[in-house]
Formats: sequence, structure tokens, C-alpha cells
Amino acid sequence: MSGSPAMAAAPAGRPQRADDAGPPPHDIMERAAQWYALLVSGEASAAERAQWQAWLASHPHHRRAWAYVESVSQRVLAPLQNSPDPRLLADRMRAVDARTRARRRALAAIGALAGTGLLGWAGWSRTPLGGLMASWTADYRAGVGDIRAFTLQDGSRIWLNAASAADVDMDGGLRRVVLAAGEILVSTRHGDPRPFVVDTPQGRLRALGTRFTVRREPGRTFLAVYEGAVEIRTAGNATAGVIPAGRQARFGPDRIDAAAPVDPAREAWARGELIAWDLSLAEIVDELGRYYPGHISLAPDVAQRRVFGTFPLRDVDGALAMLAEAASVRLRRPLPWWISIEARPAAVPPRS
Amino acid sequence: MSASPFPYLSPPSVGLLYTDHHAWLRTWLQRRLGNAADAADLAHEAFLRLILKPAPHGFDSKLEARAYLRAMAQGMCIYLWRRREIEQAWLDTLAAQPADFAPSAERQAIVLEALQEIAALLSELPPKAAQAFLMSAVCGMTAAEVGQELGVSSRMVRKYVAQAMLRCMQAQAMQTAAALRQAAP
Repeated sequence: MSGSPAMAAAPAGRPQRADDAGPPPHDIMERAAQWYALLVSGEASAAERAQWQAWLASHPHHRRAWAYVESVSQRVLAPLQNSPDPRLLADRMRAVDARTRARRRALAAIGALAGTGLLGWAGWSRTPLGGLMASWTADYRAGVGDIRAFTLQDGSRIWLNAASAADVDMDGGLRRVVLAAGEILVSTRHGDPRPFVVDTPQGRLRALGTRFTVRREPGRTFLAVYEGAVEIRTAGNATAGVIPAGRQARFGPDRIDAAAPVDPAREAWARGELIAWDLSLAEIVDELGRYYPGHISLAPDVAQRRVFGTFPLRDVDGALAMLAEAASVRLRRPLPWWISIEARPAAVPPRS
Repeated sequence: MSASPFPYLSPPSVGLLYTDHHAWLRTWLQRRLGNAADAADLAHEAFLRLILKPAPHGFDSKLEARAYLRAMAQGMCIYLWRRREIEQAWLDTLAAQPADFAPSAERQAIVLEALQEIAALLSELPPKAAQAFLMSAVCGMTAAEVGQELGVSSRMVRKYVAQAMLRCMQAQAMQTAAALRQAAP
């Protein structure tokens, strides 16, 4: 047998209009699905294949049930198998599926609360297209394109960068901020004896009288300290380290990377600016993407162009127009929510 | 939005509900979606559904009507976001291909439709069954490879794949039945 094993030997095409209308009994449909699973598993023995053939031959219901397998394979699965990169596609589909599930869960949870009158329905705020579930239930949040400032109960100030969310707990012996997503700038207030901490999945940051930013990155936390100092304690093995003012560092659950001099531009977002001092276009687009609810795609051949300048974060369209000038690239909008950044076409030579 | 209950004295008609809540729902949707055209579409769709399938117990107050409409609109947003994200997943996959790769519009439409359909089916399955099916049926991985990735036995993978395939077959059967009904005089 050649080709996909499951597809051999069965009649192609849609299920025929059957002798009696409707699909075969449920247990036969189920058996057909089990045969399919065995045949695509790569584990079917020759004897099992023969059994499958015998099963098909033994009853018209069996063949009809198998025709449904065929029909799903040809109509739905084949176009995806033949797409240019099925693994990448499947991976992205998995991410979409996970986000849809998370949204439904949040909807159910909030619905349940609303039913009891505890929450009401006003708590929803705009969320990015990509979904940012943690922020839906967090105490403080900033949507795509927002930068928001909050004063906490103890007088400390926090600024949430775009697409960021944090929970705050001031009731225990700690002033505790849990960074659920994105980036936060903290300016702590002196005079409250309770320690001020920021938690991320990678560890706990303890402020030693201070102003600092914390940003979540995949699997890591980024910290930059502008005033005072911050103590890091990693979640995995409680490695401790103190980052003084003027230094920045990244850490994972088990180690703290070497600290480097702080980049003053990192703090500028709290003023609504992105300062680019020799950043690549890719880095800038990554940053601007946090302020734009759609999708920005960047052509790889221009991604490494260096850019200098200050860009307004509260006006992404304006920022992109400035960027197009600064990096001499072209903006295209194939869809209303999709911006494509590409090399400018070569100048047309003047006609002679 | 005020928190006072605004009681309805008699069961409100869809027309009255529309007058009371349409503009509000559209604004609410626009805040969620960030797009006036989508918001207008979904708001209309919400009222259409209300006509086709009225709320089971009617509404006693404006607040209650709004809670109901909001829950419905929320579900519609989730659906719309999924559609958009799937489109984006496909466009991203395309963008990752060499520049000279350009499938025809028809081919693209077929793939997109298949993606939307399978996403809807998979979202009703347990997450691991959905993943196992994508990896086996779309990526062509063996049950052993899938099992390793998901941390389950290959026997379990086969069970997941059978479960997902059965769900797809049932959906196919329903489609076929509907098509036959339409074809009948």
C-alpha cells in the first residue's frame, strides 16, 4: 500500500446517499475512528491492517462509517497537510485554541461572580487581539496602547506599560505586587515599615527604597533599577543578589545574569516615549507592537536596520510614519489591522 | 452605566430592547474590539439572535437585559477573536515562506475554511486530545512522537486521536444530513 495508510482501499469521495438516511450506528462510527487512530499511529502491524480490511469488507455499515473518515480526511485534513508548513500552522492553532479556552474560562468565571452580584459587569476593559488573559482578572491593567499610572494604598506609585497587568495585596505583612503580564515601573513610598515586593514566576524582587522597572519576558524577568536598590530572590533555588541603582539584570528561576549599566530609555515609556538609541528595527517593532492592537509584520531584510530617534508611544500610527522615514522603509496595510513593514522598492529610473 | 435596576413594568418587546440598549451595546463592543465596523456588525447580530431565540425568562429590568446582552456579546467576541487569530496564524505561516511562494486565492480560501472548521471542533475536545489530533492528523507525527511531546503513552494518543476523529465524523454527518435535507424537494 502506498501513500497515507489510512486512505488506502476505501472508496473516495463524500458519503453516498445511503440505503437508509443518516450515519451508521454510533458504535460503528466509533470503531471506524479507532481504526483511523491505529492506522495513523505508525504502530499498525500487518495483521492489524488485514483485520481492518476484513472489518471493512464485512458489512456495508462499516464501509459507510469509513466513508466519513475519508470525507473528513479529504475535505478538512488534506488541505492542512498540504499547506507549506503544517507544523508551524499546527503550533499556531494550538496557541489560538489555548487562548480561546482561557477566554471562555474567564467568561464563565466572571459570569458566575456576576450572578452572585459580587462583581457586576463593569470590570471588562479592552484587551489586545492576541489575548492577554491574566490581565482580565488582574486588579490593575493597561490594555494595548495604554500606559496607566496608579497610586497604591500606601502612597507608592506604579505605572503599567501597555498590555500589562498586576495584582496588588496590601493586607498582609507585605506590600505585594504580582506582575501578571508585561512591564511595571515602581516608585515606592518611604515610611511604610512593611517590605515592598514584586513577584514574577521567576522570583521575588524586594525594594530597598527605590524606583525600578520589572518586565516579564518568556521564562525570565528583566529588572532595571534607577534609584535605591532591589534584592532578587529566585523562585527555583532562592539565589539572592542585589542590583544597585544604575544597573539592570535578567533572571530566571535558577540564576541571575550579570548586571549591566541601565539604559535610561527603558524608563521613558512611563512618559509615553520610546527612545531609540541605535536599536534595530526589530527591537522597535517589538516594542511598538505592545501599543498596537493589530499585527505588525516586519520583512526580515530590513529587520536589522539601526534606528535613532524618539517615538510617541501613544500614537503608534504617527510613530510608524516617523519610523518609515528614519529607517527608510515602506508601510503597507494588507488588512485593516495588519501593518507590514518592508524595504522601499528601488527607485524607478527616469524615462529618457 | 448606573447601577439602579430600571425595572420593566411589562415584558419588553425586541423593539423596545433595541431602543434601550442598541447604542449602549455598540459602544461597549467598540471598547472591547477597538473597531467601529466590527462593533456595529456584532451589535446587530446580537439583536438578531435575540429575535430568533429570545431569553428564556424575559427581562424584568434594564440591568438584567444588559447583563444578558453583554454575556451574549462576550461570547460573540470570543468567536470573532478566534476567527481573526486563525486568519493571522495562516498569514504568519505564509509570511514565513520564501517570497516566491504564493498559493492561489482559492487554495488559500480552502485552507482557511479547513482551519476554521477544525478549530471549532477541537475547541470542544479536551486540550490534550485537540493537540494530539493536530500533531497526528495534520503534522503526520507517529503516536510515539506525539506521546513523548504530551507526556502520555502512545495508547493514550490513539485514544485521543480516535476521540477527535469521531467528533469530526459526527460533524461531517450532520453537514451531510443538512445538505441532503436541503436537496430534498
